[in-house]
Amino acid sequence: MNNCLITFRSVTPAQRGEGVLRRAGMDCALQRTPRWMEEQGCGYSLRLRQVDGARAAALLRRNGISFRKVYLQGENFLEELSV
Amino acid sequence: MIYLDNGATSFHKPPEVAQAMLRAMRTCANPGRGGHRPAMEAAKVVLRCRERAAQLFQCQPEQVVFTGNCTQGLNTAIRSLVKPGSRVVISGFEHNAVTRPLHALGARVSVAGRKLFSPEDTLECWETALKKGVDAAVFTHMSNVFGYILPMQEMAALCRQYGVPFVIDAAQSAGVLPVSLEETGAAYIAMPGHKGLLGPQGTGLLLCGQMPEPLLYGGTGSLSACREMPDFLPDRGEAGTLNVPGIAGLEAGMAWLQEKGQSQILARQKKQVTVCTDVLTRMGVRVFSGPCQSGTLSIVPSMDCEEAAAEFSRRGIALRAGLHCAPLAHESAGTHQTGTLRISFGHDACPMQTARFLEAAKEVLQK
Repeated sequence: MNNCLITFRSVTPAQRGEGVLRRAGMDCALQRTPRWMEEQGCGYSLRLRQVDGARAAALLRRNGISFRKVYLQGENFLEELSV
Repeated sequence: MIYLDNGATSFHKPPEVAQAMLRAMRTCANPGRGGHRPAMEAAKVVLRCRERAAQLFQCQPEQVVFTGNCTQGLNTAIRSLVKPGSRVVISGFEHNAVTRPLHALGARVSVAGRKLFSPEDTLECWETALKKGVDAAVFTHMSNVFGYILPMQEMAALCRQYGVPFVIDAAQSAGVLPVSLEETGAAYIAMPGHKGLLGPQGTGLLLCGQMPEPLLYGGTGSLSACREMPDFLPDRGEAGTLNVPGIAGLEAGMAWLQEKGQSQILARQKKQVTVCTDVLTRMGVRVFSGPCQSGTLSIVPSMDCEEAAAEFSRRGIALRAGLHCAPLAHESAGTHQTGTLRISFGHDACPMQTARFLEAAKEVLQK
């Protein structure tokens, strides 16, 4: 199944984002961002269902939580989304 | 032991503080440095404290930077606003945590408002100094020596009116009086975690209305490939591993305060100060008291203040004597030569403490 991955520069916005999304009823998991995805090194991301991606990004923006990128991740592909 | 040295640090903290610290030591690793359970548990503890502080001091959680104490926060704030030769106005009741960094930076410092318990004088002098033109302002919310509560809101409003960025030293007021980053519009507000907020020593908060210049450079767990410090909060102000057990304790202390109500604690402290003032004055002791006073009281005993403190200590009463790291405040009040004996009530202020103190005072001060 495809997932959506939202990346953050550090743990604080990622955690706050997790709280906002969970309160909005979106299931998500906080994890380290894979090293190869983060050219500036060391970050955290939220993994959530593909269907929630756009809504999640909008919600984070509305709550003033800055994130870096949104990706669509499948078993054999990764695609940056413009949301 | 009757502990009346809360101006130095709070003691007999709520048991929840130590419990939270112990729990953190058993369950938490390094926050923001890994994805395993103990690291994530630490991150949760830290965020919980950040969010509680943000709620208590009206700002965003990211604007809450953890420090080792109030002094570290003040140094960060002052070094962010003040450059060598900058013109800075301070109140007449500042602590060395303000005056020493300014001196070290080579700032041109003017002191405004030296009359104790006179918000009118403070404000008049403050405005005069701001009118002359300054690059920054730093002021304490509450004198650590005399308990004088400075008119923070009005001083902040004047700074905003004259477009002067300012720092508030909330060392004595955080956890006792309302303090708001949003309402004051301060560039920075620094506070300890271990006094009114009832956390352990080694904790402090810097609320950032502006992006600070880092005092320390190092690992933040973010943007690790960059040589520069992150340009975002809170990471920019938090190089190195955080004091997670301390932060857990601080969160528990703030939670306790919120549950009990700050205003009720302050009312109890003020009541004890009033009783002490009345009795000590009748005993002929020189007492510094006034209308804008918190739960802290300074007196000048007829004997050396350090000897008096030692006598009280022998009777199981913990007080602090001397200059209290605030020579400027003593210059303002005319007590630089003698120092003072300070009685500072805490979250557990009660009539029993006052009665025991006054009982000892009759023996020590009337010798």
